[in-house]
Amino acid sequence: MRSIISICLAFILAGELAASPNRHKQGERLFSLKVYPMLSSKCFACHGEDPKKVKGNLNLTSRVGLLKGGESEEPSLVPGKPMLSPLYLAATRAHEPDWSVMPPKENDRLSTEQVTTLKQWIELYAPWPEEEVRSKYITEDRSKLITVEGMLVKTSGGLSDNWTYRRYKPADLWAFLPVIKPNPPKSALDNPIDAFIIHKLSAANFHPAPQADFRTLVKRAYHDLIGLPPTPSQIYQFRLAWDKNPLKAWSKLIDELLSSPHYGERWGQHWLDVARYADTGGYSNDYERSNAWRYRDYVIRAFNEDKPYDEFLIEQIAGDEIWEKQPQDKRDPELLMATSFLRMGPWDPAMTLAPQARQIYIDDVVNSVGQSFLSTTMRCFKCHDHKFDPLPTRDYYRMYAVFAGTQLAERPAPFLKVENRSGLAQKKAMTQRLWNYAKTKHNELHQKQEAAARKWFNQRGKKYLDENARKKLPDEEKPPRHVGLSPEEQGRLKVRMQDEWIWNRRLERYQPLVQGVYNGPIPKSLNARSMRMPNNPGQKVLPASNILLGGSLEAPGEEVLPGVLSALAVAASNKAEDHYQISSEIKGRRLQLARWIADSKNPLTARSIVNRVWQHHFGKPLASNPNNFGAKGGKPTHPELLDWLAADFVEHGWKFKRLHRIIMSSATYRQSGNHPQMTKLKNVDPDNRLLSYRVPRRLTAEELRDSLLQTTGELNVTLGGLPVMPEINMKVALQPRMIQFSLAPAYQPSRTPTERNRRTIYAYRVRGQANPFLELFNQPNPNNSCEQRDSAAVTPQAFTLFNSQVTSDRSIAMALRVEKEFNTLHLQVKRAVQLAFGRVPDQAEWQRLKHYVTKMQQYHAKHQPEEVKYPKSITRSLVEELTGQPFEYEEILPAFEKYVPDKKPADVNANTRALADLCLLLFNSNEFIYVY
Amino acid sequence: MQFASCTRRDCLYGLGSSLGALAMTDLLAKEVKGPLAPKKPMHDPKAKAVIMLFMEGGPSQVDTFDPKPKLNAKHKSESKRSAGLATGFRFYVGSPFKSRKVGQSGLDMSEQWVHLPEVADELCNYRGCQAESLNHPEALFHMNTGSRLGADPALGSWINYGLGTENQNLPGYVVMSEMALPQGGSRNWSNGFLPAHFQGTRLRPTGSPILDLQAPGHKTRKHQRKALDELAFLNQRHALKHPGHDDLSARMESYELAYRMQAEVPEVMDLKDERPALREAYGMNDKHTATFGRQCLMARKLVEKGVRFVQIFSGGWDSHDYLERGHSSRIRSVDKPMSALIKDLKERGMLDQTLVVWTGEFGRTPDNNRRGGVYSLGRGHNIDAMTMLLAGGGVKKGTIVGATDDIGASATEVVHPIRDLHVTLLHLLGLDDNKLTYFHGGRYKQLSQFGGKVISDLIA
Repeated sequence: MRSIISICLAFILAGELAASPNRHKQGERLFSLKVYPMLSSKCFACHGEDPKKVKGNLNLTSRVGLLKGGESEEPSLVPGKPMLSPLYLAATRAHEPDWSVMPPKENDRLSTEQVTTLKQWIELYAPWPEEEVRSKYITEDRSKLITVEGMLVKTSGGLSDNWTYRRYKPADLWAFLPVIKPNPPKSALDNPIDAFIIHKLSAANFHPAPQADFRTLVKRAYHDLIGLPPTPSQIYQFRLAWDKNPLKAWSKLIDELLSSPHYGERWGQHWLDVARYADTGGYSNDYERSNAWRYRDYVIRAFNEDKPYDEFLIEQIAGDEIWEKQPQDKRDPELLMATSFLRMGPWDPAMTLAPQARQIYIDDVVNSVGQSFLSTTMRCFKCHDHKFDPLPTRDYYRMYAVFAGTQLAERPAPFLKVENRSGLAQKKAMTQRLWNYAKTKHNELHQKQEAAARKWFNQRGKKYLDENARKKLPDEEKPPRHVGLSPEEQGRLKVRMQDEWIWNRRLERYQPLVQGVYNGPIPKSLNARSMRMPNNPGQKVLPASNILLGGSLEAPGEEVLPGVLSALAVAASNKAEDHYQISSEIKGRRLQLARWIADSKNPLTARSIVNRVWQHHFGKPLASNPNNFGAKGGKPTHPELLDWLAADFVEHGWKFKRLHRIIMSSATYRQSGNHPQMTKLKNVDPDNRLLSYRVPRRLTAEELRDSLLQTTGELNVTLGGLPVMPEINMKVALQPRMIQFSLAPAYQPSRTPTERNRRTIYAYRVRGQANPFLELFNQPNPNNSCEQRDSAAVTPQAFTLFNSQVTSDRSIAMALRVEKEFNTLHLQVKRAVQLAFGRVPDQAEWQRLKHYVTKMQQYHAKHQPEEVKYPKSITRSLVEELTGQPFEYEEILPAFEKYVPDKKPADVNANTRALADLCLLLFNSNEFIYVY
Repeated sequence: MQFASCTRRDCLYGLGSSLGALAMTDLLAKEVKGPLAPKKPMHDPKAKAVIMLFMEGGPSQVDTFDPKPKLNAKHKSESKRSAGLATGFRFYVGSPFKSRKVGQSGLDMSEQWVHLPEVADELCNYRGCQAESLNHPEALFHMNTGSRLGADPALGSWINYGLGTENQNLPGYVVMSEMALPQGGSRNWSNGFLPAHFQGTRLRPTGSPILDLQAPGHKTRKHQRKALDELAFLNQRHALKHPGHDDLSARMESYELAYRMQAEVPEVMDLKDERPALREAYGMNDKHTATFGRQCLMARKLVEKGVRFVQIFSGGWDSHDYLERGHSSRIRSVDKPMSALIKDLKERGMLDQTLVVWTGEFGRTPDNNRRGGVYSLGRGHNIDAMTMLLAGGGVKKGTIVGATDDIGASATEVVHPIRDLHVTLLHLLGLDDNKLTYFHGGRYKQLSQFGGKVISDLIA
């Protein structure tokens, strides 16, 4: 032991002698500013901070500890010799198995820069000055705003000084810095977008791809703006105009599409992806959120009316607070609908303690507001100061405090004239009928039980007491629970009771309610089943908000007042002591937050939304993580372009339609998907970051279904209203699925094709039961905000598109349409291709496809399809937890009583089936399912 | 010339119809690429595949494998325990079942387990795990995806992401459930933020095992082949007009894989060729055990065919009332099939490399509240203690790991959160949770969320 110490001493002496005074100072400075904080945050927790738990017997809290080493019995540090220092070797993560990687977790790994720093320090003979010396270096450093190490960012302050005074690379702060409108580079092209794109392309020695042909362009514009393919005659009309004056035709087309009511359906969907729209609340009960559709329609209308984005966002965060200030008789119910945004996350407090249920809600809403409007993942600084961005956990809890008084309720809001309420009476009647059925069944069982109870009392010469009245009696003085009922009947009783109130609750959707919020103290009981406005929410002061250390309710830290993100340097108030704090009144907190987000100086807001808009035009955003602009999100490929777009957007009143026009009138948007230098580009720029050509995109789930309906001529283009129930795979529709205590009722499609064949955005969205067709084509899980849709090709997509009844029905509809329009097979084949692809077939295709249909005519003449039947009721079975045994019960399906099914293979002749085979082929082809 | 950019694979594809389907599919099958191609584990694995038997509802520890005589002594006496949301009068509930020591190793099992004692010496009973969410869907999500929110990738998805799968003609992650879907439904086997290739595929108990696996009855396989050839014709001509876009060929391939799956899936599902004695052993001839038995046998076949992760949900364990009736019946429905599964795996020499896990989403309380105005002999949800079984795949045999207090209310030894269990399962498969990460939403995410520990006490 002694010898080891003396060797160490020798090293120390050697080390200190070896460094020149200048280099020694340099080393001390490096240690004080960088190495010590790094060791302290990455290593001390396991190596020394807690003397009882020192991992590997290695203490890194002093130089002596480092020189001594741990279990390996080798020094961890050899001053001057990083390659002999296990401390360094482990941190490089490249010397396994000799030195296990440290820190062990991938997420904690040292950055390349940190590893280099460590190396430098060891090369400088690893000096370890006393705390006093370290503070001197630190104070000196903190007086400078910018150094070679990066920038200081002033915030409300972190939990430690190390965090508060850490430095950021300006490149990582791009999104937090003010937007300054850059001048577009000089260019032959008028559109600033092209100027920015071509500038970068030229620097890389590439030309942009040529312009796509008129047909590709018209399809692209239709899909991008309204989510539907153009009809052959719309293509023809465009061609006529294009042949006269291409640019004029193009700009007229854009104007037409932007004024189509279907524009709002397409762009509203993008927003609903971010907001996480669904018609139910998720988790154990998956309660319907009555009239969530009114928010969906509000969003669609907002896009159609070209509502300025700043207004749109303020309404969604604080619509109710504006509404309250309006004169009683002029209050606008839309403002309450807008606040459903704050209700879109999955939430159900069942079996959760109230403080936790509230925390879950507020965390969710804070994160949702951050992601959606500020492209900031708030979760990342809920438990600690942000690891990479200038976002202290204090700011998280300041935003948390903004929502501390936000309570959830279904609020009364009269239906507006523009809201589509058709079918309301009819749907209500069906709901009522299902309720009656459940109620009747429930009563029968209840009567049976009470008859047995009566008998029980009679036999003992006692007076009968009903279920409630006998509740308090001791067990011996009353009949057993569920007396007179077999175990199966007990199960049924539970199911019927559950059904009774499920339908009772669903009747609520016919009342003029919205999923809203109000300000007030936390209600006594939280139950997602029914949340109503209290008569008098009370003006009580809210309990103080605290930083929750580690995100835990059990570890409240310092008290905080409501506020905003301080790093953005945009004042939210004129409070003298702190511009980033807002009012602590119970009312108005959200409005102040919303106005701060919508402040034209807020650097995140406009960048966030123009990035999203760009993404839906090009398939890819400029900054690759639309929900996270922090250091760890993807940096913008064209930062100046993004800023130009953001500044221009704000300057011109936050208007979407103008932004679409600018983007779509650029040559960049009109590029072809084929580039003469494609092979070279694939090597140099495989992800097309230069935007040198157009990347085809697969239709989204909704577009695919809508396009199918449009192509077959079945689409009902009515706007808005109560959710519709398209036909889905019947196995899924009738699949029993557990909810709390019971089975959820079966899915029943709308009765007639007209009702069913509405656009997909109007389809009922249940968190616990995804539409299998849409889910397969990557409709996102509404439990999470979706910044970008996946479009991976997976095998089950082939099954559903090739074999399912849903697509089979479309193919029959299309065959019937084509037969009605044309008499000969020759022309029918042509028409089918024209409807599906927007072009006529070439001779080779035409011949081959015709031949195929002929063959299939022969085939189908010999193969008779089975009839498809829809059940009017089903027997469902469930393992009852009361008995552990399966039991069965009957469920009625009134939708199928007067059901008007789509035409099935058995309803048409062999020739139609053969033509339908061709249509199915077209629907499955890449040409149909991709937009170029 | 346009043909220059036609890759070997694309050209092959285009020739598919003339070469004959068999020749082509063979060529494609040998060239395993893509996200599900088998990958090397990160370290030497103990197990290659997992069969997870998920007892939905939360089986009771004290009535299955963790007997508590002291609790029985308190039967119907008042409980002052404060736990979770419980309010009002509470009373202790003794176990209605007797327990005994079984096997050479002396594991505890209630007498309701008739067949399981035969394989007791293969089992590891773990008593130290603790859950975090008190209600079913959140707890199910947690056990299945590592997060209570129901939006993250499932354990099976992570494993397929890390290891790929050995049979490209079958899904790598298969889920079966009895009749009803568990609470939370398919979010329990969702790929979350991982690419869609890694989502669990549910094999349905009746009818077509995968939705729309087969064309409607009047369309024969020959008809299907012809249609696929025509589709290949259209797609191939189209691809030549759009060179350089890989998505197009990936989508073309998915149709050929679908065609192969159409043949292979029914073959695995078809248990007719299994020996009658084996079918009997799995309980397939008894209506109480037929469903679970069939699924257990199928799980063995699937793993044999190279499927990486098989999960079977068995519902109805949520015995708030009449626990004696409920648990008796539930135990009976799984006892014989799971015993047969373990024996079968062992006889085939597969148990060493197959990790079998039996668990619920949480455990149950030692006490109950009065329900319906009576002393209801059942139990509530308990996140502080639960019980699980592990077998094969590198875990200890015939061992009890961890312990609960003397009424089974809370874990007291070898106590670990679910994330540690997840990390351990990954570890046994040769995967390191800290390295098995996926960049999403601005950071590298992992199954355990923020890292966890391997429960070394479980490992042989």
